[in-house]
Amino acid sequence: MAFIEIKNLFKRFGKVVAVNHIQLEVNKGEMVTLLGPSGCGKTTTLRCIAGLERPEEGDIVIDGKPMLSEGFVQPSKRGIGMVFQNYAVWPHMKVFNNIVYGLKIQRIPRQTIQEKARQVLELTGLNGLEERYPSQLSGGQQQRVALARALVSNPKVLLLDEPLSNLDAKLREELRFEIKSLVRRMGITSVYVTHDQAEAMVISDRVAVMDSGNVVQIGTPQEIYEKPANRFVADFIGTMNFMSGEVVQVLQDTDAVYVRTEFSEKMLCTTPDTTATTPGKKVYASIRPEDVEVFTEPPQARENLFKGTIVHKAYLGNFLYFFVSVDGTMIRVQVPHYVPQEEGQELHLFLNPQKCMILF
Amino acid sequence: MSRGNISLAALLWLVIAFLVLYPMSILVLQSFKIAETDNWGISNYLGFFQDTYYLKTFGNTLLLSVLVLLTTTLFGVPLAYILARYRHWGKTVFTALILLPIVLPAYAGVFAFIIFFGKYGTLNLLLMETGLFKTPINFIYGIHGLVFIQSLHMLPFIVLGLSAGFTNIDPSFEEAAEVEGAGGFRRFITVTLPLCTPSYLAGAVIVFLWPFTDWLTPMILGQVDFLPSVAYINIAYHFTDVHRKYMGIVAVIVSAVVCISLFLLARWWVERKKYTGLSKGTTSEGRVIEPGPLVKLSAYLYMFFIAGLVLLIPIVLGLSAFSRRWVFEPFPTHWTLENFRVILLETPVLIQNSFVFSGIALLFGIAFGLPAAYIIVRTRVPGRNALDFVITLMLAFPGIAVGVSYLLGFWKGIPLAQYWIIMPLALFARRLPYFLRMAHSSYLQLDISLEEASEVSGAGKLRTFLNISLPLLIKGVLVGVVMFFIMAFQEISTAIFLYRGGWETLPIGIYLNWHRGMEFGIAAAMAFLMIVIAFILLLIISRIAGGILKAAWGPGGT
Repeated sequence: MAFIEIKNLFKRFGKVVAVNHIQLEVNKGEMVTLLGPSGCGKTTTLRCIAGLERPEEGDIVIDGKPMLSEGFVQPSKRGIGMVFQNYAVWPHMKVFNNIVYGLKIQRIPRQTIQEKARQVLELTGLNGLEERYPSQLSGGQQQRVALARALVSNPKVLLLDEPLSNLDAKLREELRFEIKSLVRRMGITSVYVTHDQAEAMVISDRVAVMDSGNVVQIGTPQEIYEKPANRFVADFIGTMNFMSGEVVQVLQDTDAVYVRTEFSEKMLCTTPDTTATTPGKKVYASIRPEDVEVFTEPPQARENLFKGTIVHKAYLGNFLYFFVSVDGTMIRVQVPHYVPQEEGQELHLFLNPQKCMILF
Repeated sequence: MSRGNISLAALLWLVIAFLVLYPMSILVLQSFKIAETDNWGISNYLGFFQDTYYLKTFGNTLLLSVLVLLTTTLFGVPLAYILARYRHWGKTVFTALILLPIVLPAYAGVFAFIIFFGKYGTLNLLLMETGLFKTPINFIYGIHGLVFIQSLHMLPFIVLGLSAGFTNIDPSFEEAAEVEGAGGFRRFITVTLPLCTPSYLAGAVIVFLWPFTDWLTPMILGQVDFLPSVAYINIAYHFTDVHRKYMGIVAVIVSAVVCISLFLLARWWVERKKYTGLSKGTTSEGRVIEPGPLVKLSAYLYMFFIAGLVLLIPIVLGLSAFSRRWVFEPFPTHWTLENFRVILLETPVLIQNSFVFSGIALLFGIAFGLPAAYIIVRTRVPGRNALDFVITLMLAFPGIAVGVSYLLGFWKGIPLAQYWIIMPLALFARRLPYFLRMAHSSYLQLDISLEEASEVSGAGKLRTFLNISLPLLIKGVLVGVVMFFIMAFQEISTAIFLYRGGWETLPIGIYLNWHRGMEFGIAAAMAFLMIVIAFILLLIISRIAGGILKAAWGPGGT
């Protein structure tokens, strides 16, 4: 059984439905990210787990104990650690007192408190800053204090609400890996909220993509990127070319279909779901820019080969980026090698049927 | 929402119902009583509005309000501009001096001006000594004097609002107008002033309402044909004519209705008009200009002029307090400590009462205000906005109305007025919004996640409040405490109706000594003492709170 089970959770604010009957399971020791644009309900879900919001329906079970169905369990009794978006490090307490606040409430012997504090200070690299006030710390250091405070009492569950969003880009990247290895080493089950897809990819064992209060897809970062469940996920994670069209023919006993798009009568694509694909269905033929193959000379004839004109060309150091117009449809292409063609010149694009999927 | 929050809110509502809603409704009810009968009807109102005398007082009050608003605006706009925009020496000192009248009781100002500007006051005597004038000039007795004194008292509210407005405007708005080709004055009229209207209006409504609540200043100056003064006289001296009592009550209600409706109107308008800019480019001091030498000189002279008028109040009262028989001489000749001896040794009970009543009122204020702020800001208890609304309305409710309604409500039925506790209770009800506002605004600034982090760490609600919220709120709360105390200490409008022998406070002592006529020195010494106490308390807050002082002040007054 999963360590955290979110069952049919529903939460509204006035008329706005923030979380719409979602299901989610987090296994012991796993780090799951709730990813989505702002307003998708990810933070509300996290706050429901913490007990800071009271959902109207559903239940949350942590380590076999229901938090809602058998009476509301106060946040203070849930045995969780939480890192807030703005750190919420108490400005009137020194670093040490911030960290041991929860331990003092639990009436743990002074000796043990000292020992635990020392360990967590070590882990988070805050040695020597115990006697500072938060205002004397940098943003990154305050972030570490918040993390240390959340970890010090060995919580059953660690919740992180966009913990890195207030830091500058360099530090953010560094801390991603640090948090990941720290949490993994301690083996704490954790839920991480972010709107930054790159952060989610780096940090999570699994990602739950949310949209308008619903969980749209759950999977490993690789699954989410390579097999997005729908257009929303594909668009939110990475870049995708969407070519609207209509299924014209489903090939028997394979996962291949022919799609008519604006620039092609018959484009060969793979479908993730053969049963849902019938001729006449409106779909998006989709391909990632890095999956488009580029030829400067017309290659051997094959399916899905199109001729286009370069509208924009950009040099981005480690790769080249093109906007290519194929009969008026703009296709973004990313190539890792040099291509001599300039804007206004022609290019042959091969949209590999293996990589070209249809989405709804 | 938890059950605890609901019962807390219910308790607060109970207090409001008992100390605000009940006496107010008795006041309204009484206004419909027909004198010397058991009947009820609107005849009192008909009588009031058909009587040319009462109509005249209403007209006079309205005229006074318009004149005071015009004067404060005329003097306040340049003053606020100078304070907000010019880089000059002594900015803090001048700002503090010009805002000082907020914490000086209005009646103290009147006394000082009678001594200085009166018919045989210092200025007239000096002028006549020069031989240029044979007869004294009437500086203050008349509507012009009222306009002068009330305008000086209310000027800070215009200056405070406008200078905050001038400072907070994003400089890019004006820069854009400059780029479009609008010159200095045109830019000021077309861009700067319109952007400041909300903050101006917030102050303007307080200024406009002041003549509808200030009964004492006209009375001291012998001008009684104003609504609040007439109300006071009718109610306080109705022994022979019960009809007058009801006319007084109607006058109180008319004043209160005018105040509350204008206050609500202004609030609604300000809310609607609030301009929001996208930009984040404001600096903390806004757009500051280095003026030319001539402009700078005139600005200095102007500030000296206003600050000098304000400073006259403590100086003149101080001179009077330390002297004896200061009459028909421009400056005192006999110096003495006699006045202070009388206050401190013969009637120490006045000072004692002032401290005890204000202190108890303050304890009530804290016990009510902190939970109320919590309920309003932090919970979703139904009715919390109504609670906020009722308490905010108390800001606009004239002190005289509170006094009269307490007199009517707690005399028979609930005979609380027979016990001294009525004094602190009335002070508490009257000054409630001051403390609540400070607690409220500091609560709004306190990030909720700081409290949530504590709960997640295992602390209960109460422990979180004590360990986290209270230490972080304490600055704002202390400012509220001190402001509340100063205002309660100076309160006369409510207390004058409720005090009995032995319950006199310093403000009542000032009034009585003035009333008896001969003890001017003692009245001055009491007023001086109050100013000194207010000043010491202010020094304490500015130490604690620094910049918060300027923000979040509501209307002051007797």
